[in-house]
Amino acid sequence: MAAPSTGPWDELRDGEGHPRPAAAEILSVVDALGIDELRNRQAAAAADILTMGITFTVYSDGRGIDRAWPFDVIPRVIEAGEWARIERGLVQRLIALNRFIDDLYNDQKIIADGVFPADLLHDSANYRPECKGVHPRFGVWAHISGSDLVRDADGTMYVLEDNLRVPSGVSYVLENRAVCKRAFPEVFARQSIAPVDSYTEELSKLLVSLAPDEVTNPSVAVLTPGIFNSAYFEHSFLAQRMGATLVEGGDLVVTGDGTGDDRVFMRTIDGLQPVDVIYRRIDDLFLDPEVFNPESTLGAAGLMRAWKAGRVAIANAPGAGVADDKVVYAWVPDIIRYYLGEEPLIANVPTYRCLYEDERKFVLDNLRELVLKPANESGGYGIVIGNRASDTQLAAAAAAVRDEPRNWVAQPILQLSTAPTVVEDGVEPRHVDLRPFILTGKSSYVTAGGLTRVALPKDSLIVNSSQGGGSKDTWIVDLGAGWGQY
Amino acid sequence: MAVMLLSRVAERIYWAARYLERAEDTARVVRAHTEMFADLPRQSTGMWRPLIAVVGGGAQYDARFGEEVSENTVVSFLLSDHENGGSVVSCVGAARENLRTTRETVPRDGWQALNDTYLYVNVEVDRGVDRRARERFLGRVIADSRRIDGILASTMNHDEAYAMWRLGRAIERADMTTRVLGVRAAAVLSAAETDGEHRRYDELQWMGVLRSLSGLQMYSRAVRGPIEGPAVVRFLLEHDRFPRAVRALLREIRRSLNDLPDPARLLDEVDNVDAVLRDSTADGIDGAELDDAMDALQIAIGQLDRLIHDRYLRLGV
Repeated sequence: MAAPSTGPWDELRDGEGHPRPAAAEILSVVDALGIDELRNRQAAAAADILTMGITFTVYSDGRGIDRAWPFDVIPRVIEAGEWARIERGLVQRLIALNRFIDDLYNDQKIIADGVFPADLLHDSANYRPECKGVHPRFGVWAHISGSDLVRDADGTMYVLEDNLRVPSGVSYVLENRAVCKRAFPEVFARQSIAPVDSYTEELSKLLVSLAPDEVTNPSVAVLTPGIFNSAYFEHSFLAQRMGATLVEGGDLVVTGDGTGDDRVFMRTIDGLQPVDVIYRRIDDLFLDPEVFNPESTLGAAGLMRAWKAGRVAIANAPGAGVADDKVVYAWVPDIIRYYLGEEPLIANVPTYRCLYEDERKFVLDNLRELVLKPANESGGYGIVIGNRASDTQLAAAAAAVRDEPRNWVAQPILQLSTAPTVVEDGVEPRHVDLRPFILTGKSSYVTAGGLTRVALPKDSLIVNSSQGGGSKDTWIVDLGAGWGQY
Repeated sequence: MAVMLLSRVAERIYWAARYLERAEDTARVVRAHTEMFADLPRQSTGMWRPLIAVVGGGAQYDARFGEEVSENTVVSFLLSDHENGGSVVSCVGAARENLRTTRETVPRDGWQALNDTYLYVNVEVDRGVDRRARERFLGRVIADSRRIDGILASTMNHDEAYAMWRLGRAIERADMTTRVLGVRAAAVLSAAETDGEHRRYDELQWMGVLRSLSGLQMYSRAVRGPIEGPAVVRFLLEHDRFPRAVRALLREIRRSLNDLPDPARLLDEVDNVDAVLRDSTADGIDGAELDDAMDALQIAIGQLDRLIHDRYLRLGV
């Protein structure tokens, strides 16, 4: 960890305020435009977003409201050489995590070898005993993941968390690029900026590769909880780009009774048609009322039967979330070493696990200097930032930790890096993170960059769009010879 | 090729088409009447009341506004009233909501055009009620609706989803033609029988009917005669090439159905609508008879709509 004395790292300018090499071009354009023209381009981008219908849904008074996607026109820039290293680290990480999940639901060698504690598994909220003994193709469970990266004051990029269940945001990576190209056409013409558009093609290939053996021309469906889900736009976007069918639970029917002819169908205007691959965007517990939450109408009764019988592929596989847990997170470096015999190429944030007495004691003694996170929440909910919490909040947090220690981990407070952002008073640095998307199947693919989220209020660290965060386009800029076989 | 159109998606496309057509048709009716009333000598405010009947909002209107039939009340009700599910602003909103939930099926340009219309209508509709800005507002709604049709026709696979769109358009359009005729034409005809004073303006009023359906120019081309009630009615019901005439629309409905799986039962039902259509003009076209005949035609179209739902849109529900 760096000493927190120097202030945050800025993604576009070095400590002296000079442009970093990969950002020199965009910053010279931004500076030359001046704030008024920059605001014009920001307004034009906002208008594009409105007419293109790029939205996300927020809940208010019990109903979903479709909001225009918040976008900042100044991109975040990463130099291609650095990105290549990060990409290798993410691929390595996801291969290891998938080996780990497959092991947990089958032989549990990592537990037998004493590397991962058995009781952790049994306490895990995302472990699904219903999935034991299943062998998804390629041994891959988390096909689509989005790992959140943050950069600390000394410039080190850390993985903050792995999202292995239903990570969202990738559609905005593609849309942000489309909008940003219109905002800064001159820079795209002059520079080598890695394209992001091939993601849906790669995703489509991955999903098709998962289809049951006997199927020659697989039918792929994206399963959405419906139009009130905050990520509905994305579900629709991905289905549209892949030519897949966007289905809701009510569109699906599973035939059979568990004796082998269990198969998933969708209701079309010409009767029932088979579905071979489901990219599901609903949580495990809603997938199948026969097995999980019996009240759920979002999934379809019998899905798990058909999946276990190998008649339908589900991505991500049910139960993949077992490795998406802020407690398991602390073991990821060990998991990488155990399965791959390699050192992690990308760093984990040091993480204190409250279920261990010594680490818990350290956490309780140092709450002020730590970020306290619930082990199984996403979206930034339930996080307590020690140096920003009131005494009452800290006391409540301490009580919660003592009460259910397994539910909590703590990490040092990182100085999230910043990037220049158009705000009320002009262009000012705002904190950012980065969510690249990683596809894992027979081979791996990482988006060029990812979704940069930005905390718009001054000094805020909360980047989630559900809590007022914005977004930026992310440029992987090659200062060398161009893209080649990237 | 297996049919990969979900029933749920088919239903949304069908209704997006119907709602957009309804918005366009309502805009057209209001535009034609605004124009026509400007030419009539005595501007009795009661003249606006039949417009409510054209869009079938009578009961709701009476409950909310009673005897109040000023131009402003009627036009607001038809254009900008969010409580009225048949107003232009409500229909455009409903069309957008249906298309928003089928974006994976409908070409992106089509969705963007409709979204753009929606944004425009929501900002401008109150101004559009005002007579000075009304023509521009209504013209834009009508042109946008036509534009969206054009985008889909030229960029969408002409598959089952597109057939659903055309089907929704044609059903709604046929229904609207019978409504305009039923209410407006019956009123004109009966007035013509009873009131000599009105007769002088017959031609103007029949022109208004034709304009309500964008049919004046095509009528003149096809009929090559004066604008007379019976000829107008026959043109709007029986012409097989005017795209808003019921006979031509039945042809369009048959063509759309033939692009959908196993439509035999529905084609029989179209034949039934056709039989009702033939009956409607069989015994001359007097005011009350025409009114009844249009009711019968609307019922037959409604029955076809129900069967479309049963056959394609409500599978397994």
